Amino acid sequence: MPRFSTAALSKILLLAILFLVSTITCSAQGTSTTGTVSISATVSKFVEISSGGSVTLTGNSGGGVITDGVTNSPLAVSINLGELGPSNTNSFVTALVPLKVRSNAGYVLSMSATVASSGSTTNKISAADVGFGLGTINRSGTGVNAGADTNATSGDPTLAANGSINGTTGRYEFTAVRSNLNAFSSATTALSGPFIMNAVPRSNGNGLTVPAFFAVKPQFFENGTTTISVTFTVTAP
Amino acid sequence: MFKTSKGILTTFAIAALLMMSAAVSYAQTTGSVTMTATVSNFVELTSSGAVTLTGNSGGSVITDGTANSPLAVVVDLGEVGPSNSNSFVKLSVPVRLRSNVGYQLNMVSSVAGAGATASSLKDTDVGFGLTPAARPANLAPGVDTNSTPGDPTVGGSTDVNGRWVFAGANSTLGAYAVSGAVLNGPRINKAVAANSATSLTFPAIFAIKPQFFDPAPAITITAQFTVVAL
Repeated sequence: MPRFSTAALSKILLLAILFLVSTITCSAQGTSTTGTVSISATVSKFVEISSGGSVTLTGNSGGGVITDGVTNSPLAVSINLGELGPSNTNSFVTALVPLKVRSNAGYVLSMSATVASSGSTTNKISAADVGFGLGTINRSGTGVNAGADTNATSGDPTLAANGSINGTTGRYEFTAVRSNLNAFSSATTALSGPFIMNAVPRSNGNGLTVPAFFAVKPQFFENGTTTISVTFTVTAP
Repeated sequence: MFKTSKGILTTFAIAALLMMSAAVSYAQTTGSVTMTATVSNFVELTSSGAVTLTGNSGGSVITDGTANSPLAVVVDLGEVGPSNSNSFVKLSVPVRLRSNVGYQLNMVSSVAGAGATASSLKDTDVGFGLTPAARPANLAPGVDTNSTPGDPTVGGSTDVNGRWVFAGANSTLGAYAVSGAVLNGPRINKAVAANSATSLTFPAIFAIKPQFFDPAPAITITAQFTVVAL
């Protein structure tokens, strides 16, 4: 058992205190060698409808496209169908309006329409006299997802399969499912499908394109003026 | 006889005192102080200040960086889907390093909550890069090696599928699913006091190109930096 003098014990005690203080000081400095960056973000459902390009008006007598569609611009076309009475000898007056839809989620394209004619009899132009349908759906181009869409309309209303003359009244009728605007007096689904765009920037100009057909068979309608208003709405259910 | 003995004893006593005196004098004429010390490897990572968030739609800085404090920022980038029409959502995080030895800065990252389809936001959709400048004169001389291509919003293009691809190697968090070096170099500080403000500072940049990603309400991206001594 070694013997320590008072001086030696004092030195040992002092060193112990210094060591302790040193240890505490080092700990208190808390040198930081790591760091974190925590990031959160959101991808919301996105659906968009815009014009798919210029309107095509055929079979018209007089009339014309007043405000045309511009690709990738908001859809706000204005068309004068011209004469729809019997003086127009064409089989149909048809307006073909290209639509473009884009989404990162499943979508539903619905439509609502109103038809207001100045006439006062049953012979005035009504919603049932305005044929409607969506044509061939095109999902092509870089960044467009190859999904299967459901067309709730019967397609081109001028097709023979989609209408005929009523044998009793003689009036031409668009008879197929959702083939005239009467079926869209309130918002009704016209098209639906899975997400349209893959993970590409918004600047990618592609999307789902589909022509919307509007057709009127010139007939002995009551004379007057008619205003047809159609609103498309796309949603992500 | 008695007087003689007394004289002899006195002589011995004086001699003994002289010898003791001599011995004591010898012990007090020299002394030694022996000290030991250590300089350990020192590396330090802290924030270099407030972050910068641009191109965001919604979102905000939740916990900002504070210069010389531990780096622990929290940021909400907001909307990164197509409704955000900005070119990039970009986050710049200032980082500060100090060392008395060669260092290596590593990073590991993860992306969660974005979905699992091909159109979901992936770690490769989060651009990343450092943009360190040349060392100023008040730091130890040396060249830092940046393993990233720098600002991820520079360059880049769409691939054959139309998806945005950040330019260069190690330009996205996809390169850091496991810890990897992002920056390294020789000692940073000269022999200056520990409270010296001199340090190597640079921004760490994170960027996302808003795209038609799968909807995802709560995406979480985490990046952890660690600096080690070489």
